Amino acid sequence: MRDAYDAVIIGAGHNGLTLGAYLARSGLEVLVLERRHEEGGGLCTEELTQPGFLHNVHANYHTFVDLAPPVNDLDVRGHGVEYVRPEVQMASIYDDGTALTVHTDLDKTCASIARFSEEDAETFRRLYLEAHGYVDLLLGTLMYQPPMSVKELTKALATFGVEDRSEFLSVKLRRETINQFLDQHFTHPKVKAHLAFHGAVCAYTNDVAGLAIGFPLLVGKIDNWHLCIGGSHRLAHALWRDLAQHGGVMISDADVRAILVDGGRAVGVRLADGTEVAARKLVASTVSVEQTFLEFLEPTAVPEELRVRVKNDVKHKDWTLFSVHLAMTALPEYTAAEFDPDVNRAWVVNLGYGSLEELNADFAAVRAGQLPDPKPNAAVNSLYDPTDAPAGCATGLLRQFAPFAIAGGGEGEWESVGRWYGHRCIEAWRTYAPNLTDDVILDWVPYTPLEIAQKLPNMVRGDWMMGEVSLANMLDQRPLPELGQYRTPVDGLYMAGSTQHPHGFITFAPAYNALQVIADDLGIDAWWRHV
Amino acid sequence: MTRTYDAIVIGAGHNGLCLAAYLQRAGLSTVVIERRHEEGGGINTEEPVLPGFRHNMHAQYMEFFDIMPMIQDFGLEDLGLRTVMPEAQAGITFADGRPPVILHRPDLLDRTHASIARYSKADADTYVELKHRAIALQQLFAAGLYSIPQPSGLDEQGAMIEAAFGDLGVGPQFLMKSPKHVIDEFFETPELRALLYRASVEWGYPIDGQGLGAGFLLFVMWTLGNWKLARGGTHTLAKAMTQACYREGVDLLENLMVDQVIVDDGRAVGVQTRAGEIRATKVVASNADLRQTLLDMVGEDHLSPLWVKRARAYRYGPSHVLGTPCFCLYEEPHYKSARWNEEIDRCFYTMVGFDGPDDTVRYIRDAYMGRVPKPAAGTWVNSLWDPAQAPPGRHAATGWYFLPSASALTADEWTEVRDTFNERFLDVWQESAPNMNRDNVIAHKLYTPDQMERKNLMREGDFSNGEFAPDQLGANRPFPEASNYRTEIGGLYLCGPSAYPGGGVHSACGYNAYKAIAEDLGLPSPVVAERGY
Repeated sequence: MRDAYDAVIIGAGHNGLTLGAYLARSGLEVLVLERRHEEGGGLCTEELTQPGFLHNVHANYHTFVDLAPPVNDLDVRGHGVEYVRPEVQMASIYDDGTALTVHTDLDKTCASIARFSEEDAETFRRLYLEAHGYVDLLLGTLMYQPPMSVKELTKALATFGVEDRSEFLSVKLRRETINQFLDQHFTHPKVKAHLAFHGAVCAYTNDVAGLAIGFPLLVGKIDNWHLCIGGSHRLAHALWRDLAQHGGVMISDADVRAILVDGGRAVGVRLADGTEVAARKLVASTVSVEQTFLEFLEPTAVPEELRVRVKNDVKHKDWTLFSVHLAMTALPEYTAAEFDPDVNRAWVVNLGYGSLEELNADFAAVRAGQLPDPKPNAAVNSLYDPTDAPAGCATGLLRQFAPFAIAGGGEGEWESVGRWYGHRCIEAWRTYAPNLTDDVILDWVPYTPLEIAQKLPNMVRGDWMMGEVSLANMLDQRPLPELGQYRTPVDGLYMAGSTQHPHGFITFAPAYNALQVIADDLGIDAWWRHV
Repeated sequence: MTRTYDAIVIGAGHNGLCLAAYLQRAGLSTVVIERRHEEGGGINTEEPVLPGFRHNMHAQYMEFFDIMPMIQDFGLEDLGLRTVMPEAQAGITFADGRPPVILHRPDLLDRTHASIARYSKADADTYVELKHRAIALQQLFAAGLYSIPQPSGLDEQGAMIEAAFGDLGVGPQFLMKSPKHVIDEFFETPELRALLYRASVEWGYPIDGQGLGAGFLLFVMWTLGNWKLARGGTHTLAKAMTQACYREGVDLLENLMVDQVIVDDGRAVGVQTRAGEIRATKVVASNADLRQTLLDMVGEDHLSPLWVKRARAYRYGPSHVLGTPCFCLYEEPHYKSARWNEEIDRCFYTMVGFDGPDDTVRYIRDAYMGRVPKPAAGTWVNSLWDPAQAPPGRHAATGWYFLPSASALTADEWTEVRDTFNERFLDVWQESAPNMNRDNVIAHKLYTPDQMERKNLMREGDFSNGEFAPDQLGANRPFPEASNYRTEIGGLYLCGPSAYPGGGVHSACGYNAYKAIAEDLGLPSPVVAERGY
């Protein structure tokens, strides 16, 4: 690499590559530095089990591909990314052998819900249709521009006349839990359980006050889950390629250890091997605030108060995910298919949560550091991706809500319990899909919360959202009010990763929003703003 | 919708990426189609055991970086390629703790001399002398490597080696010798022989290969001690090459298997994939192995009986079939032999488990005969030079076992090997390095030839994509009629290791294929005057 670039970006996750590509397209000389040997961050696809079985180690669901401006601005599809939107998006299979399926076809979804409650089916239809009226506008406005405050948001909603115009969206939801929302509008425990499960998979935990305000939006996107053919890592390659085709450079195995500051301004970075790279115009960090402000910056470069707040006040998720990756010679055949054949075609299946109480109990246990009796969700990408497993085989992913630190032993415990708990998750899957016997499972590996933190240290304590999802940590409050607008106390240093508004997930939004701020500061002509 | 390019390159291994970059720079719109989700083929670094522990699954040491044209022509150093060249390069260590033999970088041959002289001054003198000759031949060697091979008679070759080594008693008859014959004739020290046997085989020259003796003098002696470590893992080279391709404007399609090369009226005009047809107006070049390219993708109907016969007769393995064990360690190994020369603890490549030449010979012959040999290995601890390849304070070790060809064992037998062989090797390792006990091993995994065959379609797990034997080398690779990268199908070229010079991270197959294509299409020659090739 050369010794100076206009922009030096720390981290080649999808946010780092996205920001880099925009800046390169804007004529800047861009360098994106990645600590790992692979670009992509959470866009990580590896043959964890056997050759030819492609496992999405982190990001598996792409839910904003039709909303995120970078998908078009950076010609992601032109760079070879293929998305499919599975017809049967999700399902819940309950202990009594019944099942609920969510389809891309609203009528089919409502028909499935109606088998539990006609009334809930009608409510869901109204909620879904109402949300569709505003979800893209609201999400587009909320997510893809620097954040407003909760106050401004409530004001905007009030001016919009939300109370009169909307049956479901309401200002008071900013104090309520998703559980309360569901109890208020739905009647059947299994229907509520599925909707709450859907929220939880999006990190919107059902018992956290305030998250109800986002729930109608989640329902508006409930049938919008996309699968990236060939593994999520394909998107990383596409973004990297856009960066490189426009003159930018991504360098892997470049372990940033220091952000160089001169006269209160970020002027470059230093790597673990001592190499220094100068940044003429800006340094952007897409890794955690802890790494950025406590490790990379000299204490003297940041107000002591901010360092203390980063140490004490940054909020991380209080639960994470334990995964099992499987190489299989068959697709799961659920006994519940007798009730609803479509469960065998469902991309993601909730195995067993049949009431809000069951979810509440498990989240309480997880927060107490306990490992609940597994009720994993199962995703089989091979149902819709012809390339992610050898012919006639299937790639499987089980995900279980789990603590980072295990009560008594801490996170280190995962080294000893990983395989045992993984085995229990597989056993749980088998009770619903008896055909998944040992001879059908060629190989499997657990992927523990500890491994998340080891592989991607910016996911502090296995926090795959890179910051708690709660009203207190949302919008301009995320990750801290003084860092909420992508700028930092150090001139020329920007935060552009998932620590920022809106949050983690493959949204492209933190980078896209940081770009607006950087463009204003540097006077870059915003060619990407479409009218 | 059918996409159309000037050129299609099948396979994003280093040869395919190299060819694609030169083609695009020459003005041909070029697409590379890769079956896997990752580029690089054999230059492949993964975290197969634990997060943060990186292992090179195939290619390990890089001996061609100083002469590889693409690195200079496309500024790969600016695109992320960084290297380390350890001082002590290749060594052998012993369970009884007797002195190791250590071969160093070309600039440190005095140390190598001292190491060998511990056993035999004569051998030390000979090794250093042969090394100097090989270094003097580098320009000739490089020019030969990066050119379309010219058929040359035995007389010509005999005269050449006589000119280079005649005063050392080398005559034309050496062309008929095996590497073992040559090593035995030059060196008396058993410890050195044991090391050189393995080095010879590892570079693809079977010790019993009649007619490969000259290859030992010209190639193996040159490569010994020329090894670099790619910072971050060998995959860093793939990243830099891919980035160079992107910057030139090459299109790269991944997760896409080429099912068929479309032949129209004796000409390759495109390929068939699950994503439909992709057409090529000028060039289809295949980085895939010979049989896959001709028999599977083109199909016998489009080939002459002679070409079908040649393709069927092309051999894979048993030479150069390797298994890659991956070990996650707390501490790097500390060898008993270090009390004589502590450099053995910081040696780039260390042979473990061979007590002498007979051990090495038995080991190699067992593997060739399809028998799982007694555990022994060549080992690397790359985190010694590149701490980023393991978590802080930990070490990532990788190695190579010689193992039978993929088809020599059943699936269950391979599973058995994966489940037991590392453990058996650890017992052997601990005899030479007492600290390599089970407490020092956090976790390990073995990657076997049958898996390599599935992962990279390296038939039989053969690293060279075709046996190294006189009838499949030089202007005979893959067979005389196809040795200039052209095929009997118009517009269809070979650019992978089935073509000259074969396996190895030199990208010469891709570079030379470009030369052939450039000749045919009147594209600029890649030859740089001061480089000479």
